[in-house]
Amino acid sequence: MAQFWLAFGFGLVTASVLAIAAVGLSLQFGITNYINFAYGDFMALGSYLTYEVNTSLLHWNVWIALVFGSLAMGVIAVLLNRFLLGPFARRFQRSFFVLIVTFGLSLIMLNVIYSIWGTNVRSYNMPIEQVLHIGPFLLTRNQLIVMAISVVLMVLVHVMLKTTRLGKSMRAMSDNTTLAMTSGIDTRRITTITWFLSGTLAGLAGTVLAITEGNLTPASGELFLFVIFAAVIVGGVGSIYGAMAGAVLIGLTTEVSAAFINPAYKLDIAFIILILTLLFRPSGLFARPERA
Amino acid sequence: MSAFWYYVFTLVFFLFDYFILAMGLNIQYGETGILNFAYIGFVAIGAYMTGVAGMPNAGTSGQHYILGLNLPFPINLIIGGLSASALAFLVALITLRRLRTDYLAMVLISLSLVLYDISNNFIPLFNGADGLYNVPEPFASALKLTTNSFVPFFAGVAGVVALILWFFMSRITRSPLGRTLRAIRDDPTVASALGKGVFRYQLTSMLVGSFYAGVGGGLLIQFGGSFNPTAWLPGETFVIFAVIIVGGVGNNVGMLVGALVVETLLIHLPAFLPAIPGHPGLIEYIDTMVIGVVLMIMLWFRPQGIVPERVRRSKFLLPDFAPSGGGAVIAPTGPAIPTEEAAGAGPPFFIEEKDV
Repeated sequence: MAQFWLAFGFGLVTASVLAIAAVGLSLQFGITNYINFAYGDFMALGSYLTYEVNTSLLHWNVWIALVFGSLAMGVIAVLLNRFLLGPFARRFQRSFFVLIVTFGLSLIMLNVIYSIWGTNVRSYNMPIEQVLHIGPFLLTRNQLIVMAISVVLMVLVHVMLKTTRLGKSMRAMSDNTTLAMTSGIDTRRITTITWFLSGTLAGLAGTVLAITEGNLTPASGELFLFVIFAAVIVGGVGSIYGAMAGAVLIGLTTEVSAAFINPAYKLDIAFIILILTLLFRPSGLFARPERA
Repeated sequence: MSAFWYYVFTLVFFLFDYFILAMGLNIQYGETGILNFAYIGFVAIGAYMTGVAGMPNAGTSGQHYILGLNLPFPINLIIGGLSASALAFLVALITLRRLRTDYLAMVLISLSLVLYDISNNFIPLFNGADGLYNVPEPFASALKLTTNSFVPFFAGVAGVVALILWFFMSRITRSPLGRTLRAIRDDPTVASALGKGVFRYQLTSMLVGSFYAGVGGGLLIQFGGSFNPTAWLPGETFVIFAVIIVGGVGNNVGMLVGALVVETLLIHLPAFLPAIPGHPGLIEYIDTMVIGVVLMIMLWFRPQGIVPERVRRSKFLLPDFAPSGGGAVIAPTGPAIPTEEAAGAGPPFFIEEKDV
């Protein structure tokens, strides 16, 4: 049983990282209505930008570098939308075109990372952590900070969506873009802001993933991508709260299962849950019925 | 044989092999509209299964793998193709009926990563991360081929296989089956309103396309003699999409052109460039970026590809009813072709243009 609670603690950490990533992906999907297959590489690039500021450029503390890396990734996402993805999405009606462009973008970004930082495994410059005993869990201080960041972010996203004008506009656009436009919502501006938020969350998720795993590699985001997809689909594509719930479910199951099976396969558990969801509730746990 | 010809025949082999792979993806995406982002997974299954069907029992070799049937050349290749189709059957059964395009793409790309993860970690299946090696070279002992003479010989074998598969594929795309597939691609709802069982046709397309993927993979593993998980990360699927988009979606000749441009000129030719001193692998990274950029430029400026899909019209379509543009009931214009393309297709009636 002790082993179960240990794994449960790690599951909470994974769920926290996953929730940040899944919400970022879901926000963007809800507004633009196509999947960003380069999202995993957004995460990786964000983590490397943090790395650069943390180690060689300015030697900032990793948590301050993280803010910089995330915001920089947000700006990059806005630029990519402005000059690449947005034009493709507006010009071609079929979602295939923009999907294949994000797929290609993923390949380009991965190779940019390879060219600049190489294929070596790297790690942030941060003090070595001692493990804390909290109840039945064994966690480091960093993991606790990551969990706190995630919870705060989820609350902020919730408050933004429910109370601010921006959040209401976003929800309106996610329901029906044309109707939102005729109601006087500046859809271009909302799209830009959404890409900024999505990119920022991606950069943040990539960095905290690297912090919790203890190292960063160029392909880590890409391999994490299908776990994010699993969380998003299980929760119901396009639903923010579904993405949060899916992240908790997937994060906990993958880590807890690692206590019982070979941990090399723990991520594949996410895929099994994904398939089960598709078989029995294809629209996801929290999807609105018209989105199936 | 000089090194030059060795390289030339290597390029020829990859041209034929990617022609086969592109035809398989083309019937799935180009003809039927299924966005198969797991395509390279089917290629890999075909490669592994061809390998283990042709290799002797694993007991003595130091590798771990299933089967080890020691079967001769064309039979192991067919087993590879059929295994890929079998996987496609399972995947299609679970996903095709339930998901719209982009969800399907998400699930399939996840599938591709999971297959990669499993084959990478589960050693008894296909020898884990090391992959299979010492895969027998077909006919090499019977014809007393050396490593040098095997390359042109097997390039020829790949050419023959490609020719046979091309013959069948052009029959399929010209047949009523091909027309139905294109109708489904252009509008599944209309196709099902006309009484076509959309799922059954999509399934057929998945099975045929995956068979091509498996055969292409099988040739790949026998040509190189080895195959491991790094050869089929999801990025490789993108390369095959690049082949069919650059060549011209929905056109079998376009697949050959696309394979020539993307696979031969953009991927394998730069591999012979000398490495930049102090930056190992940099050329390869830049090369991959170039492929991505070329594809985006191509999509923006010439989405129909180098060899566009031919507009097919029924001979029963009378001139009075002939539409000025494409988009008629019987004349699909394809996902990528602007309607004005149809204007150049000759007289608007009495032609059933032959595909090649």
